[in-house]
Amino acid sequence: MSVTNESSPQLMRDIVINSIAKAAKKDKNILFISADLGAKSLDDFRRDFPNQFIHAGISEQNMVDLASGLALSGKRVFLYAMAPFITARCYEQIKCVIASMGLPVTLISVGVGLGYDHATLTHFTPEDIACMRALNGIEVLTPSDAESTEVIIEKAIAEPKFRYLRLDRQGQLPIYNGNFRPNMKVGFSHIIKGKQLVIVSCGALMNKVLAAREKLMFEGMDVGIIDLFRVKPINGRELSKALNSYNAILTVEEQLLDGGMGSAITEMLADYMILKPIKRLGMRDGFSVVNGDRDQLHDLYGIAVSDVIKAVNELYQR
Amino acid sequence: MNINDLENKALWLRQELFEMVIKQKKGHIPSCYSCVEVMVALYYGGIVNIKHGYPQDPDRDRVIVSKGHAAMVQYPILADFNFFPKSELLKFTQSGGLLGMYADYRIPGIEGISGSLGHGIGMGAGFAIAARHDGKKYQSYIILGDGECYEGSIWEGAMFAAHHKLDNLVAIVDRNALCILGETEELLSLGDLENKWRSFGWETFTVDGHSFNELLPAFEKIKQVVGKPSVIIANTIKGKGISFMEGKSEWHNRMPNLEQMAQARSELGL
Repeated sequence: MSVTNESSPQLMRDIVINSIAKAAKKDKNILFISADLGAKSLDDFRRDFPNQFIHAGISEQNMVDLASGLALSGKRVFLYAMAPFITARCYEQIKCVIASMGLPVTLISVGVGLGYDHATLTHFTPEDIACMRALNGIEVLTPSDAESTEVIIEKAIAEPKFRYLRLDRQGQLPIYNGNFRPNMKVGFSHIIKGKQLVIVSCGALMNKVLAAREKLMFEGMDVGIIDLFRVKPINGRELSKALNSYNAILTVEEQLLDGGMGSAITEMLADYMILKPIKRLGMRDGFSVVNGDRDQLHDLYGIAVSDVIKAVNELYQR
Repeated sequence: MNINDLENKALWLRQELFEMVIKQKKGHIPSCYSCVEVMVALYYGGIVNIKHGYPQDPDRDRVIVSKGHAAMVQYPILADFNFFPKSELLKFTQSGGLLGMYADYRIPGIEGISGSLGHGIGMGAGFAIAARHDGKKYQSYIILGDGECYEGSIWEGAMFAAHHKLDNLVAIVDRNALCILGETEELLSLGDLENKWRSFGWETFTVDGHSFNELLPAFEKIKQVVGKPSVIIANTIKGKGISFMEGKSEWHNRMPNLEQMAQARSELGL
């Protein structure tokens, strides 16, 4: 069976690269640099824009330093690599020469969280939200399906700035139905308005959270759903209002709880002096190397659909 | 400028740097002094194309002191080129002043931030690729510390620059053979640096880094090199110009006492 049959959702990376290609045709200052990560769309890009593509080698540190010199010379640079290697591997470079000068460089990260499931720990990024959102002046964007990816990259191209774009390795089932765009300005999507309790998640877990909601409906629980696709800067004013309309909050992420998306939300609530029952689901210290696919890893690490349902029940019973 | 003028300029630069450091008790004299002649050769020896009072000239050559703890070596020169008022030199590291202990990209004439080692070659390669992309003729000159060559990113950048045949990129390794804890060859041998760079595909030159008679011809020859980046291994003496600091790693960021200060002043002709 073909993995990429017609009905498979489009890969986020192809959407992103195709959009950049369109822009690159009009703007010769757009440069795309890969640290040896490919994509079907990248083959086209390299063929069509040989002067706007650079292979950095498997040298992420140099790739980021290079980007700084290019950006200081007026180039609009998009860096592209597997998630672990474009974040922690070259974090010092990102901090020193991109963040410190606020250069308009977009870091495109593929396979965030547990996306490279069988590759295990070296390829996991359970900390990428925590480490990237700690950078000065960065915008952290994490689309959840093809439509949100398309609108987000469109905006990233139109308004150059220092950005971290988290892409899932696998194509995600559609979440939006032509209605994502208005949320772009807000920074999150209040996808479903529910009663009493709201679940906030992002990225590849959005589909799981929606699946959990379906099951909860059968149990008579009508929970709200928020897709926090912009983790930084978090829109505290609007998000606090949205969360305040519920009695309890559940955050669900494919990250270590230390410093992740749930942390960002609890920090924001503290800043707005909102005290509310909140439970965070995510990975915890002590996870280790296990063979298994992503669903099995979610079961193991406590972020499966069943864990979401259990957590919602606990919050309801409070 | 003739050699005599350049030597006077080098003395002037050492004097200016000494006053800046002593006034604020901040900065790294020995690291700056080892690359004084390199900097003077570049800016005053007819090597770099930099126009007085025009730091934003799109065609200017780029000079990056990647060994950021010595970035202040550029400050008196940049003031001399009317990039900012000379009065800023006296406000070095002071609140409200323009000039920091490490180079800040907002300072006119400073091309990028520095302080953390190992970024200069990659950043310089970025400038060099951009120049080629834009059809510009400017060169990028990167001053590296020899201790900085311990950083792996230097060699990532070296490989990249050679592959792309960046003949508009020049590195100068300030080979003073010292880092904070002692001599590089005793602590962790850097070995034959010239051979290392050559094996990465660079055109290499080794000179006495305090001799204008050796520096200037090397820079001139580099202008004729086609199809590859060039590096000058400049053999230098850390602290050159103040006898008791010369070749002594313990002076990396130490301040002289009153007696030593008097001796230094006398040796610098202050």
